[in-house]
Amino acid sequence: MAGLFRKVYDWLLRTFWATEMDVTMIGLQNAGKTSLLRVLSGGEFTIDTIPTVGFNMKRVQRGHVTLKCWDLGGQPRFRPMWERYCRGVNAIVFIVDIADMAVLPDAREELHALMTQPSLEGIPLLVLGNKSDLQDKLTVDELIDAMDLKNVTNREVSCYGISAKEETNLEAVLQWLMKFANR
Amino acid sequence: MSYGKKDEDADTGLVKVDRTQVFQEARLFNSSPIQPRKCRVLLTKIVLLLYTGEKFPTNEATTLFFGISKLFQNKDASLRQMVLLAIKELASSAEDIIMVTSTVMKDTGGSTEAIYRPNAIRALCRIIDATTVQAIERVMKTAIVDKNPSVSSAALVSSYHLLPIARDVVRRWQSETQEAAASNKSSGGFSLGFSSSSGNLPINNSTMTQYHAIGLLYQMRSHDRMALVKMVQQFGAAGAVKNPAAIVMLVRLAATLAEEDPSLRKPMMQLLDNWLRHKSEMVNFEAAKAICDMRDVTDAEVTQAVHVLQLFLTSPRAVTKFAALRILHNFASFKPQAVSACNPDIELLISNSNRSIATFAITTLLKTGNEASVDRLMKQISGFMTEITDEFKITIVEAIRTLCLKFPSKQAGMLQFLSGILREEGGYEFKRAVVESMFDLIKFVPDSKEDALAHLCEFIEDCEFTKLAVRILYLLGLEGPQTSQPTKYIRYIYNRVVLENSIVRAAAVNALAKFGVGQKDPEVKRSVQVLLSRCLDDVDDEVRDRAAFHLRLMAEEDAFAAKFVKNDTMFSLQYFEHQLVSYVTSEDKSTFKDAFDISSIPVVTREQADAEDRTKKLTASTPSLKPPKVGPTKAAPTGAEAAASASAAAQQYAQELLQIPEMKEFGALLKSSPVIELTEAETEYVVTVVKHIFKEHVVLQYEVKNTLPSTVLENVSVVASPSDEEELEEVFIIQAEKLDTDVPGRVYVAFRKVNGEGSLPTSSFSNVLRFTSKEIDPTTNEPEESGYDDEYEVAEFDLSGSDYVIPAFASNFAHIWEQIGASGEEAEETLQLSSIKSIADATEQLAKTLSLQPLEGTDVPVNQTTHTLKLLGKTVSGGRVVANVRMAYSSKSGVTTKITVRSEEEGVAALVIGSVA
Repeated sequence: MAGLFRKVYDWLLRTFWATEMDVTMIGLQNAGKTSLLRVLSGGEFTIDTIPTVGFNMKRVQRGHVTLKCWDLGGQPRFRPMWERYCRGVNAIVFIVDIADMAVLPDAREELHALMTQPSLEGIPLLVLGNKSDLQDKLTVDELIDAMDLKNVTNREVSCYGISAKEETNLEAVLQWLMKFANR
Repeated sequence: MSYGKKDEDADTGLVKVDRTQVFQEARLFNSSPIQPRKCRVLLTKIVLLLYTGEKFPTNEATTLFFGISKLFQNKDASLRQMVLLAIKELASSAEDIIMVTSTVMKDTGGSTEAIYRPNAIRALCRIIDATTVQAIERVMKTAIVDKNPSVSSAALVSSYHLLPIARDVVRRWQSETQEAAASNKSSGGFSLGFSSSSGNLPINNSTMTQYHAIGLLYQMRSHDRMALVKMVQQFGAAGAVKNPAAIVMLVRLAATLAEEDPSLRKPMMQLLDNWLRHKSEMVNFEAAKAICDMRDVTDAEVTQAVHVLQLFLTSPRAVTKFAALRILHNFASFKPQAVSACNPDIELLISNSNRSIATFAITTLLKTGNEASVDRLMKQISGFMTEITDEFKITIVEAIRTLCLKFPSKQAGMLQFLSGILREEGGYEFKRAVVESMFDLIKFVPDSKEDALAHLCEFIEDCEFTKLAVRILYLLGLEGPQTSQPTKYIRYIYNRVVLENSIVRAAAVNALAKFGVGQKDPEVKRSVQVLLSRCLDDVDDEVRDRAAFHLRLMAEEDAFAAKFVKNDTMFSLQYFEHQLVSYVTSEDKSTFKDAFDISSIPVVTREQADAEDRTKKLTASTPSLKPPKVGPTKAAPTGAEAAASASAAAQQYAQELLQIPEMKEFGALLKSSPVIELTEAETEYVVTVVKHIFKEHVVLQYEVKNTLPSTVLENVSVVASPSDEEELEEVFIIQAEKLDTDVPGRVYVAFRKVNGEGSLPTSSFSNVLRFTSKEIDPTTNEPEESGYDDEYEVAEFDLSGSDYVIPAFASNFAHIWEQIGASGEEAEETLQLSSIKSIADATEQLAKTLSLQPLEGTDVPVNQTTHTLKLLGKTVSGGRVVANVRMAYSSKSGVTTKITVRSEEEGVAALVIGSVA
């Protein structure tokens, strides 16, 4: 019986107040996209995540908002497909491994290439510097420079430093994303 | 739309589904929130289109695929099933399908009870590429041994598909597959209809998994015979495998194993025998069929199988009767006496209301029956001939045709039957089969000639098929003039000239002319002349031309005219065709500078062509020893193929020998023997020999192959010493300069017949191979400077009487026998052939060793204990040789034969007999 009430309640919530939003998570391989999504959806952090072949899809429930997160593979062969999954979403999350300086230029190239696509005009962008728990890392300001975010125009852009492992700053990420729920 | 294969019937009764419309509707996938029910309907439409042969172009398929991949956000189990199914089907046409790998992989593992798990496994194997197979290894291994048969089957079938792209990985799953094959699963518990609504797997008690597992195991081990044997024995044990389909697979496997390896034959036969008593009918049938198809199956081995089939003949179900009868029918083609035990049961079926069964019953009886029962069967068939379709009629006509050749004495009854059905309604193919059979009767059963011609004459009076009329007219022209009353046919032929279309008229003119040219009777000649001159007024050019031409010929000398009208020799057609094809398809442009040279095509006499033709016709429908096998495991060529390849080989030899300047003066090649092996196939040097007979010379062609690695043989020659040096004198040896490993080389040794062209020297030859052997330096790959001389002795062979004889065909044996008996000489010999197991074997062997043509259908023994074989041939110089071989068989002493040979030329009879002694 209790289950039935619960179902009815959920249904009411979904029908009248619930909002769904699409979020695409991209970034080079080994940036921590799959791990971050797992932690966001309430899972445990694990070290031995296998590389994503294609994409993963997870729902993150936050109050009356459901975030449908599309976690795309970061390997070069999947990058051409990013654009397709970014079309029409509420926000794009670009994740960078701030402890791996060598790949930063690569990441910048990919990000700017994507941002110039006409189909993605106006979609808010959140750049996350992941792995802030490690020793050798960039600060947020350094990351903004390295990614040349000043030159990304025509959209709302934010940049946070986070750690999926230590779960630092994740609340801010969710708050930022929720802002766009009703657009 | 021009898409090749479309199922025309698919749309009827269903909603009309259009590709472009579906593609438009696919925007539904991008809408939010997702409507599972609507999406499912649309996905069903896509899958329906794909299944009925529609193809989406790559860009459309890719767009669809990305749309579909969005649906993974919905958790509805039924929708997920459809999504996975659609992805599986789109996998081959869309790009970037790899995108969904991770997602689908999650579904395969997921909750173990999810209904879409099997679908996910199947889809996964379609989208994965060779490099990522390793990533799914763990998933697949657990799925294979899953306790639910649906999951396990899905995993096994998917592995089967993965095998070609990732053989090594899949091969590592052997132990899991083995486990799946062995487990007699029954997933316990029961649920009542909740399954689909709750998204859980329904209960499935099928044992089909075993079938899939055994199929996969076979693919994994197909290269390793011992492993296969072990598998067949392990799963073949009673009760090891429940699924009948899986056992059928094992039956086939066992049969192939027995076929390939004689040492396995016994254990496999035992297994097959056990399966004959299996409780499932399909297993029984498969086992019986396998036993019947086995090469050189003995009567003892097959009794049990035939008995089982006999029991099925009385089954109440039509399909069972049909299946049993069909196997028996095939088997009766080559071992009629084994099937004759079932005759009483088959007899009951000839009046069966199912015409397919009745037809098979009758054709089987025609094969198994003895001469006595033929007439009765014929009467039975004519009873329902009108009720069956043309295809079945043709089957019956074919059966009767072989019967005619087998029992020439029964021709009267069969001819009546054939002419009877010729008058009935029927399509071209059927009529053609009947006419062909009558042609064969005329050709090979001389007694029937006049009657058959009369029937054919009647047939063309009212024949709607131009092609057949033309062929019959040609035959009338050929055979008519030799009959006792040629004038009778002239009337029929002239009727055609008056009544038919121009094609038939032209053929009739030709036929008429054959009666006129060379005609001794002035009365007949004059009337033909009158008839032909009337044809000069025909409206058609061709008819007029032919008439004028023939009138002119009739005025000429007979001998000269006959050359144009009667062609007793013709080109060897197979070789002609082969040469023409190779000329036309030549890559080299320069070939076309010269016109095709027809003089290079050898000419065969009509007799030879007939002899070949007859052998082919008999063997085509009644192979005497080996069952015909469909499928790739075709090993031994049938008689017809062998004959064809032999004649082709002879042409090739003649050409090769002509290339050698020393042999130009020898003249034309008269005969080449088959290849004789002088060594075992596994020895260091493999030597074979072919004997070529010329007018005054004998050439031995040795084919030598060096099988020793890293050695080179140089200056290879063969010292062939005839035991009788007085008759044969060595002229020259052409040696092989150099023989590399495994590259065959040729040595020719030529002898002259000392006593001139008429003599037929016989002798045995001892052969010694002489050569210089050099080792190859492994560092430089060059042969060393110095070698050593060596000799190698190979087996002896005989040049015997039969090497001078060529098979020839004639229709009347008794006549020739008497004729030669009066003028020529005779030789006789009684032989005990204890090593030969049956009359059929002896017949085949003797005809081959004597190199003579069996006549009057005596190459197919009817009786198992006594038989008379009638043989005819010609020597290379043209004299005829006839042989009458009487045989008797007893299980104790084997086959006893008495051979009597008569020959036109002196000394030949004894020589020919000498080749068997």
